[in-house]
Amino acid sequence: MKDYQLSYIENLKQVVLLSDTVSDLGLDAEHFLSARQEKRDRIRVLVEENTVLLRKNLFPLLDDIITASAEDVAGLEEFANALMPGNQDVILAYAIHNSLIVYARHYKLRDMLIRELYNTGMTLFHLNSLIEVTDPYRYRWKMQMLFGEAAAYIKNYDEIEDPEIRGYIHRSMGNLALGYNTGNVEYGEKKMQILRRSLQTLTDPVYQQKTPSLPWETYIYKSHQERTTGLSFLRTGLASARVTREVMESAEYVWEKQQEISRRTGRPVSTRWRMTYNTAQYHCGILTLGQLLTIMEELYMQRNMSDFSDEGIYANLFLPALYAEYLSKDGLFKAAKKEVLGHMYRMMLRYARSVPPEKITIYFVRNLMNTFISFIEYPDGIMQRDFLLQLAVCRSPETFVYLQMTASVSRMILDRIADRRPELLTGVLGCASTDEVLASREKLAQLAYDCGMFHNIGQLNFAHMTTMTGRNWLKEEQELFHYHVEIGANILKRCESTKLFADAAKGHHFYYNNLRGYPADYDPREHENQAIVDIVSLAAYFTRLLDDTIDYTNPPLPLDEALQRVAERSGTRFSPSIVSLFLEMKDELEEYLKDGRLKAYEMALRYLKNEDSPL
Amino acid sequence: MDNYDKLVSVWGDVTLPVLVLEETADGYKPVCQNRAADLLCQGASLMDFIPEEIAARLTAAGSCPDTETVPFFCFLNGCAYSLVPFAWEGRRICMLHNVNEYYQENRRTLNDAIMANKAKTSFLSEMSHDIRTPMGAIIGMTDIALMQEDIPARVKECLNKIKVASGHMMSLLNEVLDMSRIESGRILLQEEDVDLADLLHEVLTVIRPQADAGKLHFSLKLGQMAEERLRGDSVRLKQICINLLSNAVKFTPAGGDVEMTVEVVPAGEPNRVFLKLKVQDNGIGMSQEFLQRIFVAFEREEKSTTNKIQGTGLGMAITKNLVELMGGTITVESRIHEGSCFFVEIPFTASPDQEERHRQALSGRRVLLFNDRREQVEQICGMLGLLGISADVADSADTAVDLINDMAFSDEEYFALLTAEKVNGVEMLLFLPQVRQRMGADFPILLLSEGDWSQMEYVYTRAGVDAFIPLPLFRTRLSAGLYAFTEEAKQLLSEDGGQRWNFRGKRILLAEDNEINREIALELLGMANLQIETVENGREAVERFAETSPDYYDMILMDIQMPVMNGLDATRAIRALDCADAQDIPIVAMTANAFVEDVKNSLDAGMNAHIAKPLDMNQVYSTLDYFLGRGGR
Repeated sequence: MKDYQLSYIENLKQVVLLSDTVSDLGLDAEHFLSARQEKRDRIRVLVEENTVLLRKNLFPLLDDIITASAEDVAGLEEFANALMPGNQDVILAYAIHNSLIVYARHYKLRDMLIRELYNTGMTLFHLNSLIEVTDPYRYRWKMQMLFGEAAAYIKNYDEIEDPEIRGYIHRSMGNLALGYNTGNVEYGEKKMQILRRSLQTLTDPVYQQKTPSLPWETYIYKSHQERTTGLSFLRTGLASARVTREVMESAEYVWEKQQEISRRTGRPVSTRWRMTYNTAQYHCGILTLGQLLTIMEELYMQRNMSDFSDEGIYANLFLPALYAEYLSKDGLFKAAKKEVLGHMYRMMLRYARSVPPEKITIYFVRNLMNTFISFIEYPDGIMQRDFLLQLAVCRSPETFVYLQMTASVSRMILDRIADRRPELLTGVLGCASTDEVLASREKLAQLAYDCGMFHNIGQLNFAHMTTMTGRNWLKEEQELFHYHVEIGANILKRCESTKLFADAAKGHHFYYNNLRGYPADYDPREHENQAIVDIVSLAAYFTRLLDDTIDYTNPPLPLDEALQRVAERSGTRFSPSIVSLFLEMKDELEEYLKDGRLKAYEMALRYLKNEDSPL
Repeated sequence: MDNYDKLVSVWGDVTLPVLVLEETADGYKPVCQNRAADLLCQGASLMDFIPEEIAARLTAAGSCPDTETVPFFCFLNGCAYSLVPFAWEGRRICMLHNVNEYYQENRRTLNDAIMANKAKTSFLSEMSHDIRTPMGAIIGMTDIALMQEDIPARVKECLNKIKVASGHMMSLLNEVLDMSRIESGRILLQEEDVDLADLLHEVLTVIRPQADAGKLHFSLKLGQMAEERLRGDSVRLKQICINLLSNAVKFTPAGGDVEMTVEVVPAGEPNRVFLKLKVQDNGIGMSQEFLQRIFVAFEREEKSTTNKIQGTGLGMAITKNLVELMGGTITVESRIHEGSCFFVEIPFTASPDQEERHRQALSGRRVLLFNDRREQVEQICGMLGLLGISADVADSADTAVDLINDMAFSDEEYFALLTAEKVNGVEMLLFLPQVRQRMGADFPILLLSEGDWSQMEYVYTRAGVDAFIPLPLFRTRLSAGLYAFTEEAKQLLSEDGGQRWNFRGKRILLAEDNEINREIALELLGMANLQIETVENGREAVERFAETSPDYYDMILMDIQMPVMNGLDATRAIRALDCADAQDIPIVAMTANAFVEDVKNSLDAGMNAHIAKPLDMNQVYSTLDYFLGRGGR
């Protein structure tokens, strides 16, 4: 690799280390704030340095990729591959691999093209898994296009001499199944069909004889592993008999292999594959739901809370999510296992708090999201709202501070509206008149505060991006981040304790005049609490202007300038009625800002030290 | 006849001809008729003598035709009869009265009127012609006057009003002249090839803006199209369509619907077809009284809603006459406040076309159809089937990619992609370039759209689309569109010396520091007959531009990363120059996608667009076409 590439990667590592909060927990709020600020200043320097490195060295090269030397191209491949472990910089890796495809196409370098199609496909797979629950279309088709093109070279198999490239063809053929992970029946059928075709080729003695050096056993084993993910289709209860049988067969195959490995190495079979086998047995009718839940509990008790490998993440995060999903199928078990699940959630939180920053990978985030999606809330049990706040603060105190300040400003705005123009709040929480608004004032103020606190919770899905991207964002990141509004709303609307905040999560980037913003399908007329969304939208924007902890490229503005920015957006981005009241609050805001940030940090610190946590 | 006995028992044996229809599941069907009817029809069924249109109204389910629409009139054995239906115990009783004497008397009066009318027509014809000549002068001189500089505002305002009024007067005169030509028998129909696809496309380009201006929903539907090329007078046929549609648009309030249905059905003889047009609106409609006079020249219904609508009242009369000159028929149904529906049926001879040649070249091929509108898919697949082409249909990007992948593992290959302009959930401008890359430069991608291609061409050719097929879809268009990509067609084209892109006479300045990139660009751009001058950095670009005369260059292609002065600074410097065309010269960046702010910076610096590197020549050519061709300078 070139020097700039090595420097870039080194800087990335530094950014990850600096985003750690654990080492500052012993400090008081004031010192904690200044320590955080110091770290962020250092991160800012690294980010700027990395951005310059790319501007000076990488992008000119990508700009003229056709004229790049063979040495440069080899360096780029190596650099892009080095960005992938731990998903350090998947989007940059994607940009590089994508350019290399152009290079390979231009010079008709077939082997390189196959390899780069595969590599680019893999980067898209990681990006797809971040958002596939919300938008399965953004990356999937492109990923399938790339893997499909690489796999189609099976027709030219004999012309390709390099066994490694032949390997990419087989892997691409199998990876076509990666596009069908969400649990609907049609996708289940498609996935199985792809894996059937892939396994047919992998087990074909003709291919094996043509390329004996390829790890055929591993390929076949991996294909069966992939086929066991079809269990998610079985959980829908709608899978066909053929799909069910194939998933079972693969679970059996993997189980036998795992046992063989266990015998050979003396290590126990991993939790994931034991779970897969037992779940398959449940769907076969060999185990009852009760037995399956008991096995899950046993496996859970055997987990290692300091294991942050994929296996550890599976046992500590995915297993409780799966447990909740199976519990939700049966009312009796759901009631009976309340304490067990509560314990799992508490332990999961502890695990999530202790995970070191470099382990916050896309795989980690995906598993965390599974927890939210299957979260079961009991009336007197753990509330999702507390759970989410804990996670928000432990993953990024700055995010928590931003949320808390948005919440406080939202509440201040609501109070001002209630004093001066309560009629603007009619309709919220069913208040039919200004009298009802005034009678419910405290409830409304609390709602504004909570909506401010939770409006950006979807950002957790992009935790690694917001805190650890060691350079300025690329356009792709910006667009990807737009999904945080829908992801946040989807998480919040599932539970009783948070469902009222979902509108604010979804609508806080949508313009008052309906002409801009996102998501495109947001319709303010559908939401009776839209006035609160309008308040939070303004408060969030205003707070962001005063803050540069999330977006390094925009320096914080003084109060007057921030108010000016808000005023300029009256009637377009924000409600003119709310803006005019907000601009009258200058003194009040000035007073709040004297120590508002410090207080928010104090609160974050108490949460981090578990002093205020209701969990 | 039980029914008849029952009829007699209640009504007595009436002497007027009577037909009885009884209600069934599908409407009403004749069950009996009385002796007077038997006598009139010489034993045959009275129903057989009633014109098809009236028979359809009588047998239709629902309530009995009301007093607004009856009596119907028909001719039996050379005599005129009025037919009055009424409901009776689940039946419809149709009673006929002989009105021949009344009819003949009126006819004599009519003949007198016709004679007088002919004199009037002749007078109008002469007058119209004589008035048109000075009107032409008024319009022309008004235009010249308006082009003068420093006209006082008040005079300009007057001239503009003269222009509008004289334009309107000219169109009225044209209608009068048309009518008089028709009535004096001086109109001759041309016998030429009529391409219905072209004809309807032209009609749409006239009508759509009118409908849009009136905030109407306009749609064109195609029924069976047994033939798409006919022998006839395309100008007059277009006039018929436009008259009917303009009328519908005029008399339909904002928010209403206007729909035209076109059908070509076999006429039962070889090569003979009927063109059927139906123009329906849900506008203000017409009274039954006015319906009798709709096709009479100078007739306009006097209503508060129509008084503000300009017109001679000749449009429908001209239309009817043209239709009848072509040997066709026109009828109308209308109800006040509900709307009107015109039916036209004209016989034509089919014209020979290229379809057989296309069919032979295309038969047996397979295409991928990317479209999520079921109705369109069925229609397109039907047409493809007639051409011997099979189609796989994808209604999402995922499915399309799956099909492409599946095809790659099979022994077949797709001949082309036929894609809709919009597919739900798909960003077409991201998707199509990927298909282009995957399938290669020679793979035909054809866009099916109702839109105006000239408005979309720039964007879609950049996205990889090769050609455009307009909707609603005609088989001839589809086959010609696909045929153009067959080896046979390419061969013919190369024999003709055809060249897709030609920018002869255009000169561009290429600022690019990299020698190999310069060479590639020179070679590829040179193939399109462009004159290219090159510089090696931004400063040279600014200097070269500054020292040349205005409009010497038609465009600048600017690399971003260059030594001495980069592309952004060079653009700013050019825009700041005090030259006549410094602000207008299109400057297009050549760069790979970089940071968000970089794309913004290039636009902020004054560039007009950016082309991704490495250069994709289709993209480059379509960008050039946009700025150098119809879209730009």
